[in-house]
Amino acid sequence: MSSFMQTLVWGIFNGAIYGIAAMGLALVFGVLKILNIAHGELVMLGGYLGFWAFSALGLDPFLSLVLVIPGIFVLGLILDRVVYRWVVRQWGEEKIKNSLLVSFGLGLVLTNLAQWLFTGDERSVQPSYAGEGLNIYGVLMPYTRLATLGIVLVVTVALHFFLRKTYPGKAILATAEDYESAELAGININRVYMLTFALSAALAAIAGQFVTFTYALLPSIGMFWTLKAMIVIVLAGTGSIMGALPAGLLLGIIEALSGAYLAQTYKEVIGLVIFLLVLIVRPQGLFVRK
Amino acid sequence: MPTWGRLCMPDKFLQIRDVSVAYGDIQALWDVSLDVQEGEIVALIGPNGAGKTTLMRAIAGLNPLKSGTIHLAEKALHATPAYKIAAQGVILVPEGRRLFGGLTVFDNLELGAYSKRARAVRGDTLKLVYELFPLLTERRNQRANTMSGGQQQMLAVGRALMGVPKLLMLDEPSLGLGPLVVENIFETIKHMNDQGVTIFLVEQNAKKALELADRAYILEQGRIAGTGAAQELLHDDRVQQAYLGICPTPET
Amino acid sequence: MKRPAEILSMARPSRRWRSPSATVALIVFFVLFPLLMGDESMWNLFFRICLGIAMGQSWNMLGGFAGQTSLGHAAFFGIGALVTRTLWFHGTPFVVALLAGGVAAASFSLVIGAPTFRLRGAYFAIGTLAVAEVLRITVGQNQPYISNMSGPMIASYNLPTRYWAVLALAVATCAVAYLLLRSRWSLGILGVREDEEAAQASGVAVLRHKLIALALSALFMGFCGGMFAFKEISYYPENPFFPTWTFEALMIAYIGGLGTVVGPIVGGIFFVVVRYYLAANLTDVHQLIFGALFVLVVLLLPGGLMEIWERVKRFFARSIRRRDRRAAKD
Repeated sequence: MSSFMQTLVWGIFNGAIYGIAAMGLALVFGVLKILNIAHGELVMLGGYLGFWAFSALGLDPFLSLVLVIPGIFVLGLILDRVVYRWVVRQWGEEKIKNSLLVSFGLGLVLTNLAQWLFTGDERSVQPSYAGEGLNIYGVLMPYTRLATLGIVLVVTVALHFFLRKTYPGKAILATAEDYESAELAGININRVYMLTFALSAALAAIAGQFVTFTYALLPSIGMFWTLKAMIVIVLAGTGSIMGALPAGLLLGIIEALSGAYLAQTYKEVIGLVIFLLVLIVRPQGLFVRK
Repeated sequence: MPTWGRLCMPDKFLQIRDVSVAYGDIQALWDVSLDVQEGEIVALIGPNGAGKTTLMRAIAGLNPLKSGTIHLAEKALHATPAYKIAAQGVILVPEGRRLFGGLTVFDNLELGAYSKRARAVRGDTLKLVYELFPLLTERRNQRANTMSGGQQQMLAVGRALMGVPKLLMLDEPSLGLGPLVVENIFETIKHMNDQGVTIFLVEQNAKKALELADRAYILEQGRIAGTGAAQELLHDDRVQQAYLGICPTPET
Repeated sequence: MKRPAEILSMARPSRRWRSPSATVALIVFFVLFPLLMGDESMWNLFFRICLGIAMGQSWNMLGGFAGQTSLGHAAFFGIGALVTRTLWFHGTPFVVALLAGGVAAASFSLVIGAPTFRLRGAYFAIGTLAVAEVLRITVGQNQPYISNMSGPMIASYNLPTRYWAVLALAVATCAVAYLLLRSRWSLGILGVREDEEAAQASGVAVLRHKLIALALSALFMGFCGGMFAFKEISYYPENPFFPTWTFEALMIAYIGGLGTVVGPIVGGIFFVVVRYYLAANLTDVHQLIFGALFVLVVLLLPGGLMEIWERVKRFFARSIRRRDRRAAKD
């Protein structure tokens, strides 16, 4: 029984990271209406920035969030201004295709940038308390993972509050719903787009931080995380920003269970297969009322 | 009490000169010229598909101009982004309400005052809007997409008012609404005009529009087909036949 | 009555390949140059160029002509490589193995085609990406060990033979693309590309047109994979399934000029040659430069290199006309 619980708990821990990795992509897709394939690269860069903070400055991975979040936020501002701005104002099919291609090219650039700066060696961050944790009825819960889950929950609540209760947040939601009406109301939607993109980058960076001590940190992990994020947002329903966390948790649990009870090989593939099934059968996602 | 912004330039308020608008290769407006004087109510009538909405959107900055100029008291509006046009007080209530459905009544109104100019007086403007539309007060925390058509229209007008308009443009405000609601809205428009807001109105309901307006333009197939004082047009034979559904009385 | 290819060429800045003499000259160049140069690196470079042209042309059939952006073409490349390699290593003559590889890829594409084409735009793209990744991971798990050519195979390895084979493939792929553009199919697919719903309303069998594009595209991409299996002495079976192959095909098609026959040819040459020299001289950053170049092309020059060519020609045509007009006035 405890091994089932352990698997479940592990699924939740992983799922939390999937959730926050996806939240940013959900924001970008919902507001800017583009699919940013380079989102995974933003996760990767966030991880590398955290790694640098750890190895060069000795900062604990949770503390260095203070550095990483603004850092990647600024990167997001720059990327929007320099690259994505030109695509976001396009129309329909053109916009979708161009955003896919542009973000793919950008992903290449960022991956190689990381490779150039940090080499292709696998990196990780192991804080001093990495091995320790709680042990409840035989179920292990490392402190790092608990802190991760905690931060993800806090960030999710904060994001919800920001979007629903603050003025700029409401402007973002309004732009997502009807950008023309938002403009008519005097909202500078270019600025909204830039803010949203930077926000999504910051969320990706947080996920990246968690990756440093849970998964492998390599320049090439961008695609892996982009796909994970896409699976989650399709599960959640592409309009749903808040659905990203429950969908992420669900994915984490499904993966963990299939890994434990079917075979490790299926663990990686199951997510993609579910993704395809949901896309084809119920494209509006699992968490959106239709 | 917010001042609705008299510009003290009695003529030369909204000036549209030789405006042409095209959707790709399809031209919708041909060399349209018209004026709206400060403090007036001007109506734009014409058949479906004439281009009235296209013109409104072009003024508001949503449609780019193929050629021509639009000025508001000497300030160029063409080639200006839509949000800047709104910030200057030229506010459009678009066709079909176009609210932020997932947000509450209060949110919608609040967002209407996004520009710096409007934000400064937001509290007062909100009070005014609540006075004009009491049922918005009751429903302030209700989500916009759960309201009826008439209530939504009031919210749309209210949101536009939150921007402290100098020129309020309305595209088909009566569309799909019952007569009582329409009456209410037109009364509000008149009231705002009395307060000094210039009104530019597109209406399918030509009779109501001409009764309310001071002057009117007729747009047919993307071109201005006529203009005049509203009262004159109301009694003009051709207008009566084409838009008011009044057939000529047979000669006796 | 305008022929389909003419209408298609009017809708895009594409050029019908009008001069057979230029075609022959190009092929002759591709035959002679490596022969005369003789050294191994030249053969390899030209092999890569031809492979690039064939890959770009394949992606172009689906992405350019039909307007369906696929991010999963590596699946077809990989299947072609896998089937060809397996059959060939088990004694099947190479040509048969190659054909089998292509057909396997095409068949697979039809199987996934019908459901994935229900997705539009972005969803189709990431759907294809997901499919390719599923294949990659599955193959990677199932066949983790490196695939090596046997002793006798290495002993009898002839690089020029392999080059002739891939050159033939490149020529064949371009020929098929050209014929496609002259067929009735191209008229329907142009409608699908520009406005799918309108095409459907005017009676175009949208799904069938798309499936034809997909199958042909997958077939030739599968052949490319087979060529890869033919040439490479050893590689991990997972390798041909990596998204890098999709992106190479995509970039070549895009940089050259989407929707044209000449585009992938120009793109293939440009892409492979530039990469070769960048990799040799700026090893660390060559991919970075490529990514940046690609982004610039998408943003500024959606017509690719062909668009530059068109603009240059138009500029010269205009200046010649101006000069003639001035001369006529005097």
